[in-house]
Amino acid sequence: MLIQNQHTELSNQLAKTGIDLWDLAPEISITGSIILLIIFDLLFKKNKSMGIAAIAYAGLAFTGFLLIQQWFELSETKSIMSGLLSVSKLSVFLKTGFCIGVFITLIIAHRSGEKQKDFFRSSEILVMLFGLLLGVSFMSMSNNLLMIYLSIEVTSICSYVLTGITKGKKKAEAAMKYMIYGAVASAIMLYGMSWLYGFTGTLDITSTTFVAGLNDIPALPLSIACIMVMAGFIFKLGAFPLHIWSPDVYEAAPTPIVAVFSVLPKLGALSIIFHFVNAITISTIDWQLWIGILAIASMTVGNFSALWQKDVKRMLAYSSIAHAGFLMVGILAFTGSGNQAMLFYASIYLIMNFAGFLLVQIFERNTGSSQFDSFKGLGQKLPYLSILVLVIMISLTGLPPTAGFNAKLFIFSALWEAHLNEGHPILIWVFVIGLMNTVVALFYYLKMPYLLFFKTAPQEIQPNTRRFTDWLWGTLLVSPLLLLFFRSDWLVSIMNSINFELWIP
Amino acid sequence: MSELLTYIIFIPLTAALLVLLTPKTYEYLYRVLTVLCLGLTLVLIVYAAYDFKTHSASTITDETTLQLIHKTEWFSMSMGSLGKFSVDYFVAVDGLNIGMLLLAGIVLFIGAIASWNIGKKKKAYFSLYLLLSSSVLGCFVALDFFLFYLFFEFMLLPMYFLIGIWGGPRKEYASIKFFLYTLVGSILILIVMIGLYNSVYDPVKTAAETGYEVLEVQSLVKDGSIASDKIVKSFNMIHMTNPDNYIPGSFLDSSSLAKVFGQPARWIAFLALLIGFAIKLPAVPFHTWLPDAHVEAPTPISVVLAGILLKIGGYGLIRTAFAMFPDSAYHYSWLIGFFGMFAIIYGALNALAQKDLKRLIAYSSVSHMGFVLLGLAAMTVEGVSGAIYQMYSHGLISAMLFLLAGVLYDRTHDRMIENYGGLAKQMPKYTVFIAIAFFASLGLPGFSGFIAELMVFIGAFKSSGTIGAIPGWMPVVATLGLVLGAGYYLWALQRMFFGKFWVKDKNWIPALKDLDTREYVMLVPLVILILTFGLYPSLLLDLINNSVESFTNHLLSFHK
Repeated sequence: MLIQNQHTELSNQLAKTGIDLWDLAPEISITGSIILLIIFDLLFKKNKSMGIAAIAYAGLAFTGFLLIQQWFELSETKSIMSGLLSVSKLSVFLKTGFCIGVFITLIIAHRSGEKQKDFFRSSEILVMLFGLLLGVSFMSMSNNLLMIYLSIEVTSICSYVLTGITKGKKKAEAAMKYMIYGAVASAIMLYGMSWLYGFTGTLDITSTTFVAGLNDIPALPLSIACIMVMAGFIFKLGAFPLHIWSPDVYEAAPTPIVAVFSVLPKLGALSIIFHFVNAITISTIDWQLWIGILAIASMTVGNFSALWQKDVKRMLAYSSIAHAGFLMVGILAFTGSGNQAMLFYASIYLIMNFAGFLLVQIFERNTGSSQFDSFKGLGQKLPYLSILVLVIMISLTGLPPTAGFNAKLFIFSALWEAHLNEGHPILIWVFVIGLMNTVVALFYYLKMPYLLFFKTAPQEIQPNTRRFTDWLWGTLLVSPLLLLFFRSDWLVSIMNSINFELWIP
Repeated sequence: MSELLTYIIFIPLTAALLVLLTPKTYEYLYRVLTVLCLGLTLVLIVYAAYDFKTHSASTITDETTLQLIHKTEWFSMSMGSLGKFSVDYFVAVDGLNIGMLLLAGIVLFIGAIASWNIGKKKKAYFSLYLLLSSSVLGCFVALDFFLFYLFFEFMLLPMYFLIGIWGGPRKEYASIKFFLYTLVGSILILIVMIGLYNSVYDPVKTAAETGYEVLEVQSLVKDGSIASDKIVKSFNMIHMTNPDNYIPGSFLDSSSLAKVFGQPARWIAFLALLIGFAIKLPAVPFHTWLPDAHVEAPTPISVVLAGILLKIGGYGLIRTAFAMFPDSAYHYSWLIGFFGMFAIIYGALNALAQKDLKRLIAYSSVSHMGFVLLGLAAMTVEGVSGAIYQMYSHGLISAMLFLLAGVLYDRTHDRMIENYGGLAKQMPKYTVFIAIAFFASLGLPGFSGFIAELMVFIGAFKSSGTIGAIPGWMPVVATLGLVLGAGYYLWALQRMFFGKFWVKDKNWIPALKDLDTREYVMLVPLVILILTFGLYPSLLLDLINNSVESFTNHLLSFHK
C-alpha cells in the first residue's frame, strides 16, 4: 500500500517534471547549441570557423528569443523540478543579461584580430563558454543548496578550462592557481552546506522547514556554517577576502574570456547571495554588519590595489573587486528599492565592463599589448575610439553624464533609506567610505584617457583597418551608458515588473 | 520667452557639436564660430538681465516669484519603497543668480577672444571650451539639484583636459590635482543631495499622484497618512529651502533628532556642503589646488577659472548650504567668518611672498574670496550683497589680471617678477592697464572692488552689533588684508614696472611690444565694466536686492 502510494507520487512528480521542462527551454537551447557545436566540430575537418561561429550566434539568438518569450509569459515566480529551481522574472532578466554578455564576448573575440583564430578554430572554447553560460543561468535560478553547489561547480570548471585553454606558461600557472583556490573554496562551501543540511534536514532554502530548523540552532554553529557557505559565493563574486585569484587570471586569459569572467559569474554569485541572505532571516546573524564590512573592504582593497597596476586588464580586474563591493551594497539595504538599485547597477556594470573590454581589445589589437604604456598618444590616431574609452571610464568611476552615476546614486539612495529604517550603524560608514572610494577610482580610471590624450606616441603605430566596425560596436555599447543617464526610467520601468519576493505563495 | 535660458545653455553646446563636425581643413572657422556663438549668448544674457523685473517681489522659497522659468519633467520613475524619483529640467533666474549669469556671459566671451591664438589641436580646444561654457552657464541657472549636480560635475572634465593638454610644464600634476580636489568636494555635495532628496517631497506632484489638493497634501504628509511609496520625492532646490516640504521625521527635517557621528544631522549636512563648495571657492585650507591650476593653465582657462569657476563655489554656498540649512548656517557662522578672515590674511601674506606673477594673482584670488565668506557669514543684507558684489567684481578684475599676466607670458614665456624691471618704459600702455587692474583689485574707490569690500565690512560690523552672527574683531582683523593687498600689488608694480628698464634675457627685448588690437578688445571693455560697476553699483544691486532681502530674512527666520 505504502509502496503503491509512493509510486503514484513519484509518477505524478515525473509527469510534472515533464511539464516543467518547458520552463527550462532556454537552458535546453543552450545545451542543444553545445551538442551541435561538438558534432559540427567532429564532422568537418577544415575551414569550420564560419560554421562554428554561425552555430554559436544562432544558439544565442534562439535562447534570447526564448527568454524574451518567457519574460512576457511569466506572471509570478514558479517553483519547478520538485523545488530544485525557481523561474522568476528576476532570473529571466539576469539570464537575458548573461546571453547579451556572451553575445558581446563573441563580438569582442571577432574584434581581436590574429587571436580570433584561436577562438573559432575549433569548438573547444565556445563549448566551455556555453557551459559557463549554462552554469550561471542555473545559478540565477537555484533554490536548493545542492543545485547551488552544482551550478557553481559547472561555472567553475568551465572557468578553469577557459583560463588555461590557450597556450602559454602564464596561462597554465593562472589556471592552476585558480583551480586550487576554487577547489578549496568549493570544499569549504560544501562542508558548510552539509552543516546546514544537518541542522534542518532539508536542502531547499525557501522551504519553511529550513527556516524553522535554523531557528533552533545556537548562533555560533549557525554563523560558522553560514561563513563557510558564503566563502564559496564570495569566491565566485571575486570580493574581498577571496579575490586573490582574479588579477592573475585576468592578466593571463584572453581578453574576451576575461570580459566574461568579470561579469557573468559575479552576477550569478550575486543572485545566489541575494537568495541565500534573504532566506536566512535569523536575528542571530547580523547580515548587515557582515556584508557591510565585506563591502567596505572590497571597495577599498580593490580600488587601492588598482592604483598601482601597469596593465589595463589587471587594473580592470582590481576594479571589478571594487565593483563587487558596490554590488553588495544593494543587498545590504534589504529593501525593495535596494534590490532594484542592485539590479540597475548590475545591468549598467554588465554594459560598461563589456564595453571597456571591447575597447581594450581593439586597442590591444592595434598595439599588441595591454600595458598602459603602449596606449600613449593613441588619442590622436584613434580619436573617436579614445573618446568612447573616456565615456566608459567616466561611467565606471560613476560621474555624470553616464549611467554609472545613476547606478551609484540609486544604490546609495537605497542605502540611505535603509539607514533611516533603523539599519545597522555600519551603513553610514559604508555610505561615506563607498562614495569616497569614487575619488580613488577616478585616479586610476583616468589613467587610460590620460595616456591616450596627454602623451605623444613614441613610435609610429599604424592603426590597422576595420575601423568602421570597431566604431559601430563601440558606439552600440557606449550609447546605452549615455542614454540611460538621461532616461533611467526606461530600464527601471522594465525592472519594476520584477517581483523580488522569494517566497512562493 | 520662457525658453531663453535654455537657448543660453544649449547654444554653446550646439556650437561644440558644429566644431566637432567641421572638417579640419576649415580650422580657422573654429575660433570664429566660438566667438560668434558666445557673443550671441552674451547678447541673450544681457537681454535677460535687461528684462529682469527688479521691482517684483522675490521670495527665495517660492517658485512662482522666479523669472524666465522653464520647467518640464525630465524623468520620473517608481523606486519601490523609496517613493517616486522625479527629476525636472528646471531653469530660472532670480536675484541670486542673475548677476552670476551676466558675469559668466562676459567672462566666457572675453575668454573666447583670448583663445584666438591657441596653436595646437584647435578642434579639441574649442569644442571643450564650448562644452565648458555650456556647463558653467547651466550650473548658474539650474534649480533642480540633479541638473545642478550634472552641470557642476560635468564642468570638471573639459577643465581637466583644457589644463592638462594646453597647460604649462607641470600641467599633468595640476590638472589631476584640480580634478581630485574638486571631486572630493562634489562627493560631499552628492552625499547631502541624496539626503535632501530623501527628505523633501514635491507637494504639487504628490497631490497629482494621490489625487488630493495641494494644500491638503501638506497636512496629510504631516499626519503620516500618505504611504511612503506614494510620496513624490523632489530634487527641486526651491522646495528644499522651504521647511514645510520636509517629510516629518525624515533625516534632514528641521525638527529631526537624527544624529550622525554624535552631531545633529543637519549640522553635518551643512558642513559637508560647506566643505564641498569651499574647495571650489577655494577657502583656506582647501585652496592648494588653485595656485597650481592657475599657473599651469593657459591664459583663457585661467581667466575662466578665476572669473567664473570660483564663483560657482560661492553661488553654491548661497543657493544650497545657506538657503537650505539656515539654522545650521547661523550655528556655524563664526566658523565661516573665521575662515573668511583667515583666508583674507593668509592669501595676502602668501601673495606677498610669491615670485611668479600668476601665482601672486592666484593667491590674491584666495584672499579676495575670503571676503565672500566673511560677507556671507555676516548674514546681513549688506554682507550678503557685498559677497555677491565681490564675486561679480572679482570675476571681472581677476579676468583682467590673468589676461595681463598672459600678455607678458605670450611675449617672453617667463612670469618671474624678479626677471623684469622698469617695463613702463618699454610697454607704457601695458603698464597703464596693469596699474588699473592692480588698483581695482586692491580696492581703490571708484572701482567695483571697493564697493564690494566696503559692503562686506559694513555688513560684518553691523552683524556683530545686531544679530551677532560673527564677532566684531573678525572684520577688524580682516581690514589688515586690505593693507597687505596694497602692499603686494604696489610692491610688484614697483619691482616690475618702475625704475630702470631691465630684463633678465636680452633676447626678450624685441619681443616686448606693447598691446595689440586683440588685447585692447579684451581689456578695454573690462576696464569700462569695472569702472561702471564701481561708480554705479545700483546697476547690479537693483537686480539682486529683492532676493537678497528675502534671503537674509529666510536666514534669520530660524534665529530666535
